[in-house]
Formats: sequence, C-alpha cells, structure tokens
Amino acid sequence: MSSTTTGQGAPPRRRRLSGRGRRDAIWFLALALPNIVLIALFTYRPLLTNVYYSTLDWTLGSASATFIGLGNYVEFFTSTAGHESIRITVVFTLVTVGGSMVLGLLLALALNARIPGTAIARSAAFAPYVLSGVGVGLVWLFIFDPDFGVLAWFLRQLGLSSPEWMNDPTMALVMVMVVYIWKNLGYCAIVYLGGLQSLPQDVLQAAALDGAGPLRRFWSISLPLLSPTTFFLLITTMLSSLQAFDILRIMTPTGRGTNALIFESYLQAFGGYSRAGYSAAISVVLFLMLIVITVVQVRFVEKKVHYA
Amino acid sequence: MTGLPRPLTASTTRRSLIGLGAAGAGALALAACGGPSVGGGSGGSDGGSAAEETDFSSVEPATEIAFWTSHPGGSKDVEAELITKFTEETGITVKHVTAGSNYEEIAQRFQTAQAAKDDLPAVVVLSDVWWFRYFLEGNIAALDPMIEKLGIDIADYRDSLVADYQYEDKQWALPYGRSTPLFYYNKDHFAAAGLPDRAPKTWQEFEEWAPKLTQGDVAYMYPDLAGYAGWTLQNVLWGKGTAWSDDWTLKVSDPKTIEAMTWVQDTVHSAGWAQVASSDSADTFAAGVCSTTIASTGSLVGVLEAASFDVGVGFLPAGPVDGPVCPTGGAGLGVPSAITPEQQLAGAMLIEFMGRPESTVAFSGATGYMPIRKSADVSALLEKTPQIQTAIDQLEVTRTQDYARVFLPGADQEMATAVGSILTEEGDVEKAMTDLQTKLQDIYTKQVEPKLS
Repeated sequence: MSSTTTGQGAPPRRRRLSGRGRRDAIWFLALALPNIVLIALFTYRPLLTNVYYSTLDWTLGSASATFIGLGNYVEFFTSTAGHESIRITVVFTLVTVGGSMVLGLLLALALNARIPGTAIARSAAFAPYVLSGVGVGLVWLFIFDPDFGVLAWFLRQLGLSSPEWMNDPTMALVMVMVVYIWKNLGYCAIVYLGGLQSLPQDVLQAAALDGAGPLRRFWSISLPLLSPTTFFLLITTMLSSLQAFDILRIMTPTGRGTNALIFESYLQAFGGYSRAGYSAAISVVLFLMLIVITVVQVRFVEKKVHYA
Repeated sequence: MTGLPRPLTASTTRRSLIGLGAAGAGALALAACGGPSVGGGSGGSDGGSAAEETDFSSVEPATEIAFWTSHPGGSKDVEAELITKFTEETGITVKHVTAGSNYEEIAQRFQTAQAAKDDLPAVVVLSDVWWFRYFLEGNIAALDPMIEKLGIDIADYRDSLVADYQYEDKQWALPYGRSTPLFYYNKDHFAAAGLPDRAPKTWQEFEEWAPKLTQGDVAYMYPDLAGYAGWTLQNVLWGKGTAWSDDWTLKVSDPKTIEAMTWVQDTVHSAGWAQVASSDSADTFAAGVCSTTIASTGSLVGVLEAASFDVGVGFLPAGPVDGPVCPTGGAGLGVPSAITPEQQLAGAMLIEFMGRPESTVAFSGATGYMPIRKSADVSALLEKTPQIQTAIDQLEVTRTQDYARVFLPGADQEMATAVGSILTEEGDVEKAMTDLQTKLQDIYTKQVEPKLS
C-alpha cells in the first residue's frame, strides 16, 4: 500500500513552497523564461503551425485552403513518388553516414601519426566542413561536368567517357553522395582524432608488450574504446545527412534521383508544384523520423557503448 | 554558496513545467490557427477574376515602390539604367530587388510573400508558367483600369505577346522579356560539313545533315532537363501534328504524341546524333561542344559574346504537318492585388515605362529578348545584333503554348522527369507518357479545375 495514503475523499495536500523555494522559482523563471519564450515562438510555434498546415490542401500563395485531415500523409505513403523519396533518403543517409565515419576514422588514424606537417593536414582535412554547401556544390559541378569537367578530362585520358552525372538519376545520387562525404569527412576525422588522442596509452602499451600487433590493438582496444565517439558521430552525422539540402539543391535542381525527404518537401512547395500542405506533411514525416531514430539510438545503440 | 539558486524541488519543477507546457501548448495551438482561411469546399478562384476593380480616377501614385526581378537574360544593368530614367521622369523611387536568379526562385519569393501578407512589390516579373497560377490564386490585379488611366497603347504591343496574358477578357500582365526558342548553329561546323549556311527547314532535312556534322562532340544538343524541356519539345510535337494538350484536354498519351517522343528518343539512342545537355545548352553550344541546339532568344547576346566562332540562327525546324511550330515564352510584368491602389498605379507606370519603344529596344540590345512594341525602331539594334531580326520574324509564326505546360502547376517538372526517363534512361516511351498523362490529369482535376469559373 502506498505510504502516502490520505483520508478517502480528502483532497491531497499541496506542498507550499518555502520562501527559499519561491525565490528559486522566481530565479528559474527570470533566467529561463526569455529562452523558453524565444524557443516557443521560433521553434515550437512554427513546428505546430507546420503540423496544422500538413492537414490542409493548400496551394502556396492562396488565401484559402481545404481541411483534408490525413489526406496528405495517405497520398505520400501510398504514392510511388513518396516511396521513391523514402528510398533515396535511406540510401543517401546510409551511404553518407557510413562513408563519412569509416573514411573519417581512417583519416583520423593518418592524422594521428607523429610526422611533420600534421597540423596543416588536419586544417586541410577540416576545411571542407566549414565551407558553404552552395559554394562546394558549384565547384564540384565544374568537376563533374561531363563536357567540360576535370573528371571528364581525366576519364578521357584513360579512354573512358564520363557518366551522365546530372542527367542519369542513379549517377546523380552517386555524385551528391560523393560530394557530401567529401564535405563532412573532416568533421568525423577531427572528432575521431580527439577520441584517439584521449585513449589510455598505458593500456595500448601493455597490449603491445603482450605482443599485440597494430591491427589487433586497433580492433580489440582502440575501436571499442572509441565507441562513445562513434556513438556521438552516428547521431550527429545521421541527423545531418537526413537534413542535407544545399548540395542536393545546387547540383541537381530538378531533384531527379536525389529528392530525399527534405528536398522533396522543398520541391513540392517551391519547385513548381506550390503544394504547401503536402510539403508540410513531408516535413512532419521527416521530423518524426528524426525523433524515432534519435530515441532508438539513445535507447538501444548506447547500450553497446564502452565508456572508459 | 548560499547566494546561489538551488535546484527546484522535484514536485515544484514537474508542476511548473506541466503548467508552463499546458499554457504554452494552448497558446501555440491558437497561434497555429493562422495562415490561410480554411473552407469546406474545394476552393475556387481566390479573387483574380472575382476581385472588385479599383477606380483609379482619383488615385495618386505612390512615391516609392519595389520592383522584383530575376534580371532575365542578364538584364540587371539595363534595368537599373531604365529605372534611373523612370525616377528622373516621374520622381518615383524604385527599389530594384533581385528576388531570385530565375523564374522559379522569384515565384517562390512572391508566393511566400503572399502567404506572409507582407513585403509585396509594386511590380513583379512573372513567367509564362506562373502568371496564370497567380491569377487563379488572386495574387495579381487586372491591369485594365490602370491601362485606361495611364493611356497605355496596347494596340502597339505585339499582338501575340499581349494575348498571352489575357483571360476572361482582362489583361493580367504586359510583356517584358519575351522570347521564342531559336535554332542556333555553328557556321564553321556547317561549312566544314559542306552544309548550306542556314538552319534546316525541317527535322527530316536535319536528319540528313546530322551525320555530316562531326566537328563537335554531337550534332544536336537537346536543352537540359532543368531548362524547360516541355517548352522546346512543343516544337517537335506540333510539327508532328500533336501537342501536350488541346486547351484543357490532355494529349500526352495520344498515339501521335508517343510516336513523336519515340522519334526524339531515337535521335539520341538509335540514330545517335543528339544528346541531352547537362547544363544550359546555350553554354554548351557556345563552347563548341555541339554543332546545333535550340535555346531561348534571351541567350542570344550571351552566346554571341561567348562563342569563338560564327553563330547562325534560324527558325525552328518544322515537321511533316503544316502550321506554326514555335512557342512564345519568357516573362511579363504584373502588379500584385494585395497592395494599395497608389502602389499599383505607380507599379503600372513603371510597367508602362519599361514597355516604351525606346526602353524595349535598350532591353533587347542588352539581352537578345525581342522588342515587344510594333513601333520600336530596331535599326540600331539590328546593326549591332542582326540575328535579332530572325527572332522578330519568327514571332509571326508562333503558336500559343499548350495549356498543359503553362497552366498546370508542376507540369514543367513532370514533363522534364518524363522526358528524362525517355532520353537519359532509354525508358519505355508509352509507359512514360501514360504515367505523365495520369499525373497531369490529377493536377488538373485537383488543383485547377475547381478554381476555373
């Protein structure tokens, strides 16, 4: 039985705040309220407004709309275009997250070596991450151009012809994934480098004395001890990839083969269709997807993490 | 330490947060009720045709307005010069706003401003595929009372260009950067191939010429898919006696249309004398990659400046069926409906100024777009850029664009996707066109038909 049983029918006693408690509450409100108001106004209000819009058949620019309930969601989940957008999102996210993390780790191992010039190499590796996605997309367009591009020139020297990077939907997806991985590689590398440099050297030295080779030490000691870093990167890069837009928009303006969820949402509202309600529904789907992935990662994947 | 605030007790925090959350959620739910007004029906025109016309007889123009433009054809400088002259003449200050880099981006901003009900310009550039949507949604005002007030001589505008913006006996915009597609050819390549110095009269004739054009990577370059494939392909469809649509009746999956698109696919895959550009086909042509292409007259000046060879231009090739095979295109200028009459009148004055014969000649000289006035003295223009005469002459044999392309939201994008699957993936033509027909019919039924009066 509960230890806080009260007489039947008697209202539960409300604990009054002491003078100190009231003072604390006032402090809390004074410090937190401005931020809460700002977050409510500029994050949660648009979020809720967007959910509301997702229930409307609303043409952007129109002063009137029709309430259709879950109609936009039904259309998205039952249409071929919706399925294709989800497929592209999954492929893009898996490849770019996996590619950025694996290559980032390899790059971090190289940058961790004690050789001259590593400081410059580390800066160079990180630089693409802080560049504008629009600028990166424009430059890589010149590289990939099948007629004038540097890549096409190299392929011609080898007697090969350039793929139709912009016109072929499959190659367009490959192209944007390559560029996205290149841009975000430095971020993973630098974070992994921080993890590598904080590994307990005594454990690694003990393993070396016991005869463990470099590969064995990496596989059995470094990699498990890097799992908190890997977990952090898994969440951040996945959230980032799911929200990738700038490079996709600049390099493939029609979205053929590259219309991941966020890009499809843009195309539906602003790419000629003017379907604001349908676009809002796609945004809500993406939002829920991000929430679910984050919760799953925190609840289940984190259990596999080894904290030193 | 005692001066620092302690963490709140658990019960206080929970209650406070729940209370705050509930109050916040209530407030936000109310806030979420903004945006468009929600009705139970399927809509209807938002006012384009139904809006009451303003009596401008006693309206004085605003002294400061904004002009939203994408500077079509690289016209930023010439626009600025014309605006300066306009301000000198009228005393009206014009904020010259780059509202996008193309028609789609400027439409995006204009529509967003409509939703926000704020920051609208007095004049906006609107393309052939956007003005009707603005009309349907009541975003633009009928110009007729302003035309009457200002005494704009509509009869002096080129008839087909003015007619493009007429619906329900009202004028919804006036021509500005108007174009047609042109057939561009590399004179050096033609000479080397022993071909006559002219554009082919028909596609059948070009099929015979194409194998001889081996100086570039390819004989003919289709415009890139992002560059309005549905616009230029009307040329092929019309030449073969079909179209994207006949008024509101779609003809996308008609046997003749499938036959025409099969021919287009064959030019790339079976015959192999054509490719699809990865970027602007005018740039590809100017770089000498292809011997011929079709691109807008708005690209003419840029091509002439960039090309290191003699550029020839001609009418679009015809097909086996007689009749016009060239669509009009480009942009006009409109006035938003949700601004004050004073702003609208000042905006209409700017439109009138930009459309004056001397203004349109200056604009054409800087861009290659066509002079839109019959009385425009184009002699100096032709002396500098004689190729513009071809565009002007071709205007006499143009045809109004298919409704399916210009009046259905997103149709251009759907057409580009279908054409892409046919040309770049060698997909099944019949399936692609049948799917396209289904999508376009769905767009018409859901988004357009309920709003037509």
